[in-house]
Amino acid sequence: MAIFSTPPATPGVAPVLATVSPDPQGRPSELVRAVITAALAIYLVGLVLTVMSNSGSGSSALLRTIKGRLFSPWMVPMWLDLGFDYRLTYGQPEDADHIIEVRPTLGSRVGKNFPPEATNASGTRPQEIRLPGAMTGERKARWRRLARAIAMTADDSDRESLLPTSIGAGLFDDLGTTDVSLRVLRRPLPERPQTAASSSLELAQVYAARVRRVGGKEAKVQLIKSEAAGAVAPLLQPVGDK
Amino acid sequence: MNNHLALQATQLPRSAGIGASWMQFWFTPADSRPLAMVRVLSASVALLLWWSYLADLQAWLGPEGVLPTEMVVQWRLNGGFSLFDFARSAVAVWVLFGITGACFLLLLCGLCTSLVALLAAIFWASLMLAAPMLAGPADDCLAVLLWCLAIGPAGHYFSIDRWLSLRGGQPIVMPSWRATIALGLLQVHASVISGAMLLAQLKGDVWWDGSAAWWLAVRSESPLMDVRGALAQSDYLMNALTHSITLFEILFAIGLWITPLRPIVAKAGLLAWPLIGILAGEPLWGLTMAIFAVPSCSSRSASA
Repeated sequence: MAIFSTPPATPGVAPVLATVSPDPQGRPSELVRAVITAALAIYLVGLVLTVMSNSGSGSSALLRTIKGRLFSPWMVPMWLDLGFDYRLTYGQPEDADHIIEVRPTLGSRVGKNFPPEATNASGTRPQEIRLPGAMTGERKARWRRLARAIAMTADDSDRESLLPTSIGAGLFDDLGTTDVSLRVLRRPLPERPQTAASSSLELAQVYAARVRRVGGKEAKVQLIKSEAAGAVAPLLQPVGDK
Repeated sequence: MNNHLALQATQLPRSAGIGASWMQFWFTPADSRPLAMVRVLSASVALLLWWSYLADLQAWLGPEGVLPTEMVVQWRLNGGFSLFDFARSAVAVWVLFGITGACFLLLLCGLCTSLVALLAAIFWASLMLAAPMLAGPADDCLAVLLWCLAIGPAGHYFSIDRWLSLRGGQPIVMPSWRATIALGLLQVHASVISGAMLLAQLKGDVWWDGSAAWWLAVRSESPLMDVRGALAQSDYLMNALTHSITLFEILFAIGLWITPLRPIVAKAGLLAWPLIGILAGEPLWGLTMAIFAVPSCSSRSASA
């Protein structure tokens, strides 16, 4: 049973259509059809290219170049340069929920402009801001995407420092300081036997950096990324130094 | 009309047959009622998504926000620009955001629908580009829906425009080839999105070993649909749920192009997509995918 039914052709309709359109079947003129056909063909090629080149597996230089030069200039502004590669999950740690935690680095005074949702579990005035905190729905999902974006671009040389720097600096006033520590935490996904104790799994740190304002009149925001211990070269002891 | 075209197709060379099918699919005038239904549903979801920006708008996009324009411009590696790039004050951000919401409201009511649908698509794309890192799958799919609505006559039914035309003595609404193009694009995108999702998922082991449903269920701290207990107790249930999602996506991507299957998979999509969305913690995305299925619930003459 169809939810929508196309109305049957009315005997009196056809002559009216014939006078309105040059095509007896109510189609646009041949020239218009040709133009639309060309536009549709171009768009469909662009659609295929965006799907092929926006997948998580990367794309070939050829496709990237064609899409970048011919299609991205008009598809990106329309928010149509999309890969639709919604994997939903791979069961990997990065598929878990992420949160952002920002706190004053040096224990400086705390400001008063916290969003009420950004309080800690005890409900008291926080010494830190955790986002999304107690938010719900799509609003919460957007903050989590922001947190995940920081973690996912931690190894991207073009974007690595952009988000943590701007988020840290954007919260200077809220925390009443110009020196904050920003962390992205991830809630581990419980394996099946762990289901009963899943709520007790501790948050894992996936990104940490210090963001501070330095300099005098021409102050700049500086990001100092905390490297994992294994990624830092050990201090070499000078030969002969006991 | 369809029999006539089918006869033509058998008499002409194969290339002409493809051409006739193309013309039939894209240009045979269609009823615009399904498109009007898509408009109402899309505008409703759009208002929900728009609302999700409201509380944090200045925290994100304001002059003192955490996502300043200069940073976002650097973030957009593929270029693009947003109307919000030119908003240098909190008031300007509010005005642009307010216009976006007003467009969605007018789209829902169906007033000046053709113009409003176009503006809604432009302003939504601008909002997405103003903070690309906040955009989720529901936002992407909504953008596609809005552009499709901008192409077709989405205000011919269930709208103030319709009421005004009735008052003006124009009761008859003709089938429209613009509706056909819009509905055709919706069908293409529904199939492409489902197919692209499927390809992305099949690169992950969890979609082959049947455990993906578990990882979806435990992903969120506070899931909308808590099936963890049931999935923990039964391997078979977990596997069946995982493979059902995969199978549905295959059927949806392909079935939309097989005339006898099309209404069946589309109606299944009305239920399945929201359920997948809830399980994945993206309920609004599930709804937008279901909206893509709405026009295919009927047997559209252009693709029959």
